[in-house]
Amino acid sequence: MSKAPPITNRVRELREARGLTQTDLGDAIGVTRHTIIAIEQGRYSPSLESAFRIARLFGLGLEDVFGWEEPVRSSRAGKR
Amino acid sequence: MPFREKSAWLMLICLGLVSVAYAALVATMSNAVGQLVPPLIPLLVVFTVALVVLATGSHIVIAVLAPRDAVAPTDERDRAVSARAGTWSGYVFAAGVALALGLYLIVRNGDLLFYCVFGSWVLAQLSEYAFEIAFYRRGI
Repeated sequence: MSKAPPITNRVRELREARGLTQTDLGDAIGVTRHTIIAIEQGRYSPSLESAFRIARLFGLGLEDVFGWEEPVRSSRAGKR
Repeated sequence: MPFREKSAWLMLICLGLVSVAYAALVATMSNAVGQLVPPLIPLLVVFTVALVVLATGSHIVIAVLAPRDAVAPTDERDRAVSARAGTWSGYVFAAGVALALGLYLIVRNGDLLFYCVFGSWVLAQLSEYAFEIAFYRRGI
């Protein structure tokens, strides 16, 4: 079914550093607390709009908050 | 747990219970008369009312327990989960209807066609709730 998206993020770390709760962050960018939890746990990749809102809220660029993790290939495929 | 996931759980349970009860009653009545009973509107009304009462009552309980979550508008994740679950359940419904139509071409029984399409509809709805739960829990 669904697999974890290869997008990583530092939302939790940045949110905690600024003393924000998940509810505060959710209210600030217009999503629920549960969506913030899912983003932090890597179970949901936010829309581009929400990603920009989060990055701007932290005063950072998009790639300072979100990253792309290359999917791990099988060792057999890697040897080719 | 998001309110909409709780809601999906409740609807899965309520619709599952009512559907099983309805199917069991139709099967019992059909066994008694020795053939498939035609769809009865009063029976459908009774089970629809039962579903509405169960669903409304259970949603009132979860709304009272988490009022803030209950009044929160849907966000982008809720909409994405709902859209994908709806798409997948649409495939379930389409497959059920295709099978029902195929069965009708062989058996030529309108009552059976009704039950098969109705069953596909219920199954599709149940699968939509199940997909929603899966997407909320495993990610989308």
